[in-house]
Amino acid sequence: MSDPLYTEIIIDEARNAQNEGTIENPDISQHDSNPMCGDSITLQAKVDHNSISDIKWSGDGCTICKACTSVLTQLAKGKELDYAKNLKKEEILSELGLEYLIKQSPVRIKCALLSLKVLKLGLYSYLAKKLGDSNSFDSLKEEAANLY
Amino acid sequence: MQSTKLSIENVRKDFPILTRRVRDDKPLIYLDNASTTQKPKQVIDTITNYYNNYNANIHRSVYSIAEEATEAYEKTRDKVAKFINAPKREEIIFVRGTTEAINLVAYSWGRKYIKEGDIIVTTEYEHHSNIVPWQLLVKEKGAKLEYIGVDDNGELILEHLDKYLATGKVKLVTFSLMSNVLGTISDVDKIISKCKQTGVKTLIDGAQAVPHMIVDIEKLGCDFFAFSGHKMLGPTGIGVLWVRKEVLETMDPFHGGGDMIREVHKYETTWNDLPYKFEAGTPNIADVIGFGAALDYLSSLGMENVRNHEIELTKYALEKMSKIKGIKIYGTKDLSKRGGVISFNFHDVHPHDIATIIDREGIAIRSGHHCAQVLMERLEVAATNRASFYIYNTKDDVDKLIQSLEKVSVLFKL
Repeated sequence: MSDPLYTEIIIDEARNAQNEGTIENPDISQHDSNPMCGDSITLQAKVDHNSISDIKWSGDGCTICKACTSVLTQLAKGKELDYAKNLKKEEILSELGLEYLIKQSPVRIKCALLSLKVLKLGLYSYLAKKLGDSNSFDSLKEEAANLY
Repeated sequence: MQSTKLSIENVRKDFPILTRRVRDDKPLIYLDNASTTQKPKQVIDTITNYYNNYNANIHRSVYSIAEEATEAYEKTRDKVAKFINAPKREEIIFVRGTTEAINLVAYSWGRKYIKEGDIIVTTEYEHHSNIVPWQLLVKEKGAKLEYIGVDDNGELILEHLDKYLATGKVKLVTFSLMSNVLGTISDVDKIISKCKQTGVKTLIDGAQAVPHMIVDIEKLGCDFFAFSGHKMLGPTGIGVLWVRKEVLETMDPFHGGGDMIREVHKYETTWNDLPYKFEAGTPNIADVIGFGAALDYLSSLGMENVRNHEIELTKYALEKMSKIKGIKIYGTKDLSKRGGVISFNFHDVHPHDIATIIDREGIAIRSGHHCAQVLMERLEVAATNRASFYIYNTKDDVDKLIQSLEKVSVLFKL
């Protein structure tokens, strides 16, 4: 039996989700949830020489949410902050064959993109605080707010 | 068990939506009745007829259709009073729904009578609508909100109530007659008699109870009672607050505006009679009249028959579902203490995933926290699946739900 959404890739990714846990003294720590469905994700990251040296997630979410969070953390880990800043939702979704959700499921797209929203918000807080110039990162905050 | 007297086959014919096909031509199986119920054509036609034939504002003009509209609106008030056996028609206030009803009490009664140090007692299985208005009030007043806990059987731990009442500081005890997640029917008699001994006011959230069982306000003995129309075949945007007259007479207005006044001068206003003092502005006329048709419909079926049908269906569902490997059903198994609401989790699959997968079979259940996050914390889960029944549901619907869970097992290799 197959299902367009619950493919083996997604179920396996969620079951064996990577980078679950917490980080002591993180440089970035951000939480958000989807009020309607209850998905709730906290992302924590260490920043070293302008790169994300470590990233972990904790919380509770459905299969779609967990699979996408796992993919997101794997993509971001070890990359420069600029990469994470410019990460597009399509890149996360395409890893799991979920691009079609953007058009077809306004409800489930929120599960898929919650962790990306959390990452963008976390980066915004980090950069705004560190550089003391929040205005130049407003676009990041705006992008997070309008992600889905 | 007494067998149901409802002809479900005939009932189903009254609901146009039940002939709908969804998701690749599957018949719609609607099992989210605790959220909102479907509407029979009698209700839909009544609303259409109002707009087509006698749409006019009420309580004001003398022309024919205004009189007809006023009469239909006020007749619904009588129907409500009869349906819940309220002593007086002027105790019935039309509001948007249970949420607005409870907020009205918190505002018009609570702001006047709750003082610093007072205690309001609610329960762990309340809907957010019976928690948040009280949080707002106690914050404003420097009062305190306390909770009656829920035991592992999904029932209230009434010793907690005793403990709070013993402080002498409790001013209000507020609880739902039936939990929207567990289906538990609260032990009203015990709660109310404890409160009456100490002169404490009581509010009952009847949103889940009134649609599914006989509710008799006089017998209950509470001071405030709230429920919604849309959970009992009526339209959305209409609900009822009943307040015992002696209490209602001491309450300040909720909203100021038209219809709630007797005389308005530049700096002084006197209030209209009850219940109009609490119904400011043009009300939801069409939906009140439509709600009247819903009450007629349920009355013609007989609420005892409705309750018996749901007991039979819940018994069948609980028996069948509890045999499924990996299922966890919340709440009591005692059918005399519960309604037709079944919350469950299935292995470690998130409820959101289950609801999506079985939606492909045309089955509508609710997944999530059901606006009861305090209870979710108590159950130590983020969310549950919830199937809830009404008069048009059949054993076949339950079978289809169970079959669809098998599909979840296959996909998730459980």
